[in-house]
Amino acid sequence: MTTEKAEKKPELIKVDIARPRTYKWSSGKYLGRVYKEALENKKLVANRCPKCKELIWQPAAVCGRCNVEAGEDWVVMSDKGTVVQYTYLVFPLWDPHYGDRLANPYPTATIKLDDDGVFLVHFLEERDPEKLKNVKRVQAVWKEEGRGRGLGDILYFRTIDE
Amino acid sequence: MAEIMQDRVEKLKDLDVFVYHGKIFIPNTYTAGLTGSRFLIELRDNKRIMATRCQACEQVYVPARSVCKYCYGQLTEWVPVSDVGTVETYTVDGHSNGVQPMDPPIIYGIIKLDGATTGLVHMISGVDFEKLAIGMRVKAVFAEKRVGSILDIKYFAPLA
Amino acid sequence: MGNRVAIVGIGQTFHKSNRKDVTLQEMVGEAVRAALLDAQMKTQDVEAVFTANMETFENIFLPDAMMADETAAFMKPGLKVATGGTAGASVVEEGFHFVASGLFDTALVIGFEKQDCGDTTAAITGAVTPVWGKGVATGAIGEFAKQALTYMQKTGAKEEHAAMVRLKADKGACRNPYAHLRLGLKSIKEVLDSGYLVWPLKFLEFCPQSSGACALIFASEQKARKITRKPVWIADLVTVHQEPFRAGSFGDPTGKEEYSQDIAVDRLYKRNGITNPIRDICMAEIYEPSNWEEMSHYEHYHFCPRNEGWKMVEKGMTEMEGEFPVNPSGGVIATNPIGATPTIRVAEAALQVRGDAGEHQVTRDVHTAMATALGGPNWTVATLLRRSL
Repeated sequence: MTTEKAEKKPELIKVDIARPRTYKWSSGKYLGRVYKEALENKKLVANRCPKCKELIWQPAAVCGRCNVEAGEDWVVMSDKGTVVQYTYLVFPLWDPHYGDRLANPYPTATIKLDDDGVFLVHFLEERDPEKLKNVKRVQAVWKEEGRGRGLGDILYFRTIDE
Repeated sequence: MAEIMQDRVEKLKDLDVFVYHGKIFIPNTYTAGLTGSRFLIELRDNKRIMATRCQACEQVYVPARSVCKYCYGQLTEWVPVSDVGTVETYTVDGHSNGVQPMDPPIIYGIIKLDGATTGLVHMISGVDFEKLAIGMRVKAVFAEKRVGSILDIKYFAPLA
Repeated sequence: MGNRVAIVGIGQTFHKSNRKDVTLQEMVGEAVRAALLDAQMKTQDVEAVFTANMETFENIFLPDAMMADETAAFMKPGLKVATGGTAGASVVEEGFHFVASGLFDTALVIGFEKQDCGDTTAAITGAVTPVWGKGVATGAIGEFAKQALTYMQKTGAKEEHAAMVRLKADKGACRNPYAHLRLGLKSIKEVLDSGYLVWPLKFLEFCPQSSGACALIFASEQKARKITRKPVWIADLVTVHQEPFRAGSFGDPTGKEEYSQDIAVDRLYKRNGITNPIRDICMAEIYEPSNWEEMSHYEHYHFCPRNEGWKMVEKGMTEMEGEFPVNPSGGVIATNPIGATPTIRVAEAALQVRGDAGEHQVTRDVHTAMATALGGPNWTVATLLRRSL
């Protein structure tokens, strides 16, 4: 008869704290303008640096590269563009923005907006990996209702024939 | 797991400024470690307050910790301390902030238990505000249902 | 240029996914004790204490104050550093500057992260930029995936090359007792067969969420020579910041962006007489955010011409026995406690210079080593270590 020596592992206590913290963030004048244009006019805007003449994305009071005040030279950008790069989830990832389990199922893409617009990171409507290979020209699909979330006012970019 | 951000956008008149009301929800888990766990388990299972002792520095730490503040020695000696102590200082919090363990007004005190060399931050209850005094003697009141938390001590009440 | 500063003590914890057995402070204390032991120093000998982490993981306010007992910081000066991904290297910079100024003789520098405290994805996506990034940020993962695709399209690299890098990292990790992921991968096929997570990145191509700490002790020249026979000199350190979002998030589609990596090493090489990096420097511990990025970083750090990083991998040049070893410790893909990771790069490079890396010591003699760190918005910190100045 053998006596088993019970190897008792010490109990380890954990404290779980899961409490959302509420915040109020001021968007400031420049980002606020982006929100306003998206909400009221379904338009994407950016301001242009007076020195380097580049569009500042995301719009800000200062052009970081030139270290000058960016000013209010606002440009309405096209919401049509060309896909530069994209990727898609194969395995569902937990995404805290969208709730419990699945991350946003739409592929993310880097899109160069027309008329010398900026590079935007957003979603594509097309989800078929085979069809995605041929997606080049896209256009924003705006939310009809419930806008007020800046870039989130665009649902995704739809493939267009052009 | 609830959604991470609920937002509401508030437009300010005459200004192209949005105040974005949001929430950040990052669930956290904190481990008590071996020393902390033993301290909490003693509260839960035995209604006993245990401390760690550094003989060289003549320190008795409550809550129990694993390192001595003065000599950096690793503490392995456990000693029980009394559940009775002296109020070193206190304050009354009348403001509600959504994260308190009790409804305000709450009396917070630093209590030096007999046998310990450190003070313990906890709540004091069962006493009128006018009778609160530095130096008053209080005793731990344990919760009925204990889970291995500092709140297994419900509060400290004046020694009858 | 400042007084000379040497690393005289190196310590780290055994990095794991979950350290249930210790509190955050106790975990940090383990690394501190290891460094003190390595230097044969006492806490009284340390004049200033610096800590670094990425706070949104543990969500602890004033972590440096909270761990003052375990870092023996009681009544000492010091700083808390929170520069995101580069925190562990910025803290090296702080300690280095304090001692180089001549005002301090010794400093203790600690990078740490206890990622089992929080949710990494939530922390990164939720707290990066609440107003702007909401709903569009995919964390780092989507960006790495796009970078990998761009790299393949631009340079002709294949998935096999990325798998070779992954294999190299695992080989190193298996010989590094402190590393987190030690998988024992046997072949490129194993990596390729692991399946896609975010196309074209495979499951095995992601770094882990680790909990761990790394501590370094610095000393001025006078003190250093008394403390140890093998001081590792910090010859130079360069930090370059980049604006967030400007950099096109890893793999610039504009073609116009300057990469902080190039600028940082250009300055570092110029200031230190390095004209042929893989000849003048003996090995590097670089902060590779993914195995794909490692190949493009070879190019940014001028180890090879543009678009040829994958060729270095194909020729085995960056293996432990190779001409220019990179990340023999296993790198970030094997161990990533975010706040500690850059400190670990410096620590591992220092161990190589000292000849103390044990089983993962590289074949080539190491008299000069480089350690780099990378942060979210494309910041870079590059550190140069030498056996003698």
